[in-house]
Amino acid sequence: MIASFWTALVGGDFWWVLVLKSAFLVLFLATAFAYLTLAERKVSARIQLRYGPNRVGPFGLLQPAADGIKLFFKENAGPSNRDRILFFVGPSLAGAAAMLAYAFIPLGTNSWFGYQFHWDITHANVGLLVILGVTSLGVYSLFLGGWSANSKYSLLGGLRSSAQLISYEMAVAFALIGAVILAGSLDLEQIVGSQQHLWFIVLQPLAFILYFIGAFAETNRLPFDLPEAETELVGGYHTEYSSMRFGLYFLGEYVNMVTVCSIATALFLGGWLPLLPFHPFDWIPGPFWFLGKVIALLFIMMWVRWTLPRLRYDRLMNFGWKVLLPLGLLNIVITGAIVAVRA
Amino acid sequence: MNVLVVVAMALAAISSLGVVLSRQTIYSALSLVVTIAMISVLFLLLNAQFLFAVQIIIYAGAVMVLFVFIIALLSPDAEDRPGRDWRAVVGLIAVAAVTILVFVAAGNGVTYNSKGFRATQLLGSCTSLNAGPCDPYRTFSYPVDATNAAGNVQTVAGQLFTTFLLPFEITSLLLLVAVIGAVYLTRRGVER
Repeated sequence: MIASFWTALVGGDFWWVLVLKSAFLVLFLATAFAYLTLAERKVSARIQLRYGPNRVGPFGLLQPAADGIKLFFKENAGPSNRDRILFFVGPSLAGAAAMLAYAFIPLGTNSWFGYQFHWDITHANVGLLVILGVTSLGVYSLFLGGWSANSKYSLLGGLRSSAQLISYEMAVAFALIGAVILAGSLDLEQIVGSQQHLWFIVLQPLAFILYFIGAFAETNRLPFDLPEAETELVGGYHTEYSSMRFGLYFLGEYVNMVTVCSIATALFLGGWLPLLPFHPFDWIPGPFWFLGKVIALLFIMMWVRWTLPRLRYDRLMNFGWKVLLPLGLLNIVITGAIVAVRA
Repeated sequence: MNVLVVVAMALAAISSLGVVLSRQTIYSALSLVVTIAMISVLFLLLNAQFLFAVQIIIYAGAVMVLFVFIIALLSPDAEDRPGRDWRAVVGLIAVAAVTILVFVAAGNGVTYNSKGFRATQLLGSCTSLNAGPCDPYRTFSYPVDATNAAGNVQTVAGQLFTTFLLPFEITSLLLLVAVIGAVYLTRRGVER
């Protein structure tokens, strides 16, 4: 019985396969974080007609390693009247929520020698809800970090970020429902599978745009990076953090970027499915297609960040509640009506 | 897997003690978040994935965020407590009584009837579902399909939009009233 439950939960893998996959995922996401910071600096430099980091190693490729060493060996300072426990808990939660969500992202399967290998760690029949729930826990890390530091800039940053995340979560969830209606399932594997012939970005362009805009707010990035608006709040919720605790917030932000781009890939860009469903496209394994699509979306996020100015806070809230949310509702009604008529 | 059940239950119990015993209100609220998360893990171990997700999204992700928000903003001071409080004694007696009652009830088969719990009733008798013996007292011996059907989206939605449509609509009306009331209360520059 335990075996069959286990099978349902983890897809029939041996426990050591699971441990290896989890370890690989954590290492992979941490490395992705390191090189995303480099990519961000390179992209920003190119957009601003600069060179970007190019001293440490060839093309500056060792820059993330140097940054990591610096962060680890810096003094772990903080305000003297901080809440010591929560000051520690905040940054620790930051990366955890984003990484946990990634365990449910579908990456496709391969059959080797009769053994069905799942690239993803686990699978839930309400996968999309689970991911939304787990990522919504990230708000605690921002708010607790901002509050426990006992500093006005941190507190304001934490407040702004919580309000922003809660508001935009609604808009994001509404945008995703369109794709769920088309697939008729909350199971991410089935959602990807039902895009075999046509990616949902073609059928749901509005939903994709709404989701992607919401994703910028969910990851606290320009033009929605009000929580850390440096012109008014110094650094927002992580003003008082230094060394690797600051680094953990940084990691949380970048892993979150990877997660939201992966959700967009799975729901709108056909997940692990190849660009065209015949040779030579389907010779490339699924995870590489997935990775390619995620990298394309990540590049767009960086491109936007270094091109657009920051919104004012009340405009940000108005936009979320009065534009994104009604449009998302409209999209649900139209999609539902069309699906109901055709059924 | 039983290890996971024990760990989740222990953490739920410890964190719920933390809700009651911690002197700072924000730690109480955060302990409640941990309790809710652990209960949702128990849902997951019972294979009620939908309940797991909903519990995390609504309670841990939305309701408790607002609690923490308000507590942090009002920043109440730490509580002062007398050394001996008769309310603590009453509370302990009540907890002990309820615990004993629950065990007695479970021992007499009140929590699960002879056909198992509702999950299997929805699908008919539980022997028709391919897997093993069907002992109502051993919850984890239920076939995955049966427990899954109780917790999955289609079953819940099906019940909500057929059998329980009226209560469901009344609840939504109630929520709408609450929303309108909240909007009215927060409007500025309105004569009240």
